[in-house]
Amino acid sequence: MAPQSPAEFKMAELLVESLNLEDIEAKDIDPDELLFGDGLGLDSIDALEIALAISQEYGVQVKAEDESTREAFATLKSLTQYIEANKG
Amino acid sequence: MDDFDKNRAALINRPLDSSIAIVLDRYSPVELGTQVTVRQFLAHVHAVAKLLPEQKFAINLCENRYLFMMSFCAVIVKAQTNLLPPNKKIATQEWLIKKYTDVYVLHDSHIKGVGLNTFIDTDQEQESPLAEHLSINVLDADFGIDNEISHIPRILLSHLAAISFTSGSTGESRPNEKSWRTVVESSQINAFNMLGEPQGLHYQLATVPPQHMWGLETSVLLPLFVEICVADIKPLFPQDIYDALDALPAPRMLVSSPIHLRSLVKSNIAGCSSNTSSINLILCATSPLSSELATNTESLFCAKLREVYGCSEIGSMAIRETSKSSAWRLFGGICFEQDKENKVFASTQYLPNKIEISDEIDMLDDNLFILKGRSSDMVDIAGKRGSLLEINQVLLKFSELVDGVVFVPESESNVRRLAALVVLPSHISVNEVKAYLKKHLDNAFVPRPIIKVDALPRQDSGKLPIARITELYRSLIKDK
Repeated sequence: MAPQSPAEFKMAELLVESLNLEDIEAKDIDPDELLFGDGLGLDSIDALEIALAISQEYGVQVKAEDESTREAFATLKSLTQYIEANKG
Repeated sequence: MDDFDKNRAALINRPLDSSIAIVLDRYSPVELGTQVTVRQFLAHVHAVAKLLPEQKFAINLCENRYLFMMSFCAVIVKAQTNLLPPNKKIATQEWLIKKYTDVYVLHDSHIKGVGLNTFIDTDQEQESPLAEHLSINVLDADFGIDNEISHIPRILLSHLAAISFTSGSTGESRPNEKSWRTVVESSQINAFNMLGEPQGLHYQLATVPPQHMWGLETSVLLPLFVEICVADIKPLFPQDIYDALDALPAPRMLVSSPIHLRSLVKSNIAGCSSNTSSINLILCATSPLSSELATNTESLFCAKLREVYGCSEIGSMAIRETSKSSAWRLFGGICFEQDKENKVFASTQYLPNKIEISDEIDMLDDNLFILKGRSSDMVDIAGKRGSLLEINQVLLKFSELVDGVVFVPESESNVRRLAALVVLPSHISVNEVKAYLKKHLDNAFVPRPIIKVDALPRQDSGKLPIARITELYRSLIKDK
């Protein structure tokens, strides 16, 4: 697994906390692992929860309508980059 | 003419030139922004009907609400039956094909519109279990045709219009059969009790899927019988819901679930104060709504919120204004009877049998009741209800499993999930159990975490008290 950047670690902590991932530690989430489907196995309920946590923590409103959102939700790395680029 | 045949009722009970759906999905084959009239809708229904094979049953998997509604009606016009599975899992489809044999699948899989869902919930990316000619894409219909529509088809009341399945697991789902008579009469009851007296055309946005009972009753069936023009999309994120509301003409109504309302309230986006997103009516169902969330939702949208209570066999049965009352008022047309053992049975004119309600109910009078508790076997995860017993049986069928249990852990989190403790041979990993469960359970019911243990804390009798499970689980979580 590639090392997490500080921003990725912060995002990983947000995921573990908001999704109540009891059996996963933030530092163990691979920045390149898929969050949904076969990777971490998250689903649309989690996506809603992540979106909420992101809006509260970073003030960024996620929209499914945007193509960039789909790419953003692929991995911890892409999600972190998306938020860095979009936060006010 | 069969127009006066009292054994039939109209497919749509609305004027031909009234609006029935509005296109907000930019991937729709119908032009964005179009308000589809009943006349155009019927032309589309006939175009889809031409595509359909001569099988008896159609598994209707369409994501886009308008395309779902159109296919749903085309199947009925062809005197066939819609099968409405609880999810899109291949294992579910295989089970339906085995059970009903004479089956094809209807889908709209080129539509990836607001389908962030389509990449998040990856169920349908697997190969269809059916031969190519039995997998029908409704997008292949000719939507440009200008059929001269002068009358509305009339459907035999005894025709089996749809069978819904509500269990969260793939096997042994209980089918709920809906004749056309049931569809018509339950929709009339729903319209009157949810909406009150007719108040002219309303534009409806729904965040729930059309295949599930709540979405079917409100966003697919109501528009066939009352003045509702429904949006074809199913937005997920708060900003998407606001954008969709802004794109809808007033007066608006929102059909949703506590999960979506909670994220709307917590998203910190200005609601009706921005003067754009005001809504006349919000209808909410699928899992219990707190009076606090109801009050916050009402003030956010300057709207009245009505919460609906139902069961899978009948559908919607009772209503309350959750911000004002904890008691539920039964719909006119639905009766509850309580026997000596306090079991409650529901009956209605369009169902031959009484239905036992699995929840614990306290009748205040003939029409008012308090919901004291949900049945202990039924679990509610993110608005989906499933039987814990059935979910455990799915786990126990994993061939390498030595012992295991799925349970509801204590949790302070907002998102409640199931958890599982499993005993496995050393060469089998938790990930293999997870992959198996993902194949056979609705995503919402796949336990998280699944923890491998040496043994379950069974008593000598073999019983497994929840207190012992909780104790072991707590110690494992602490150790992480």
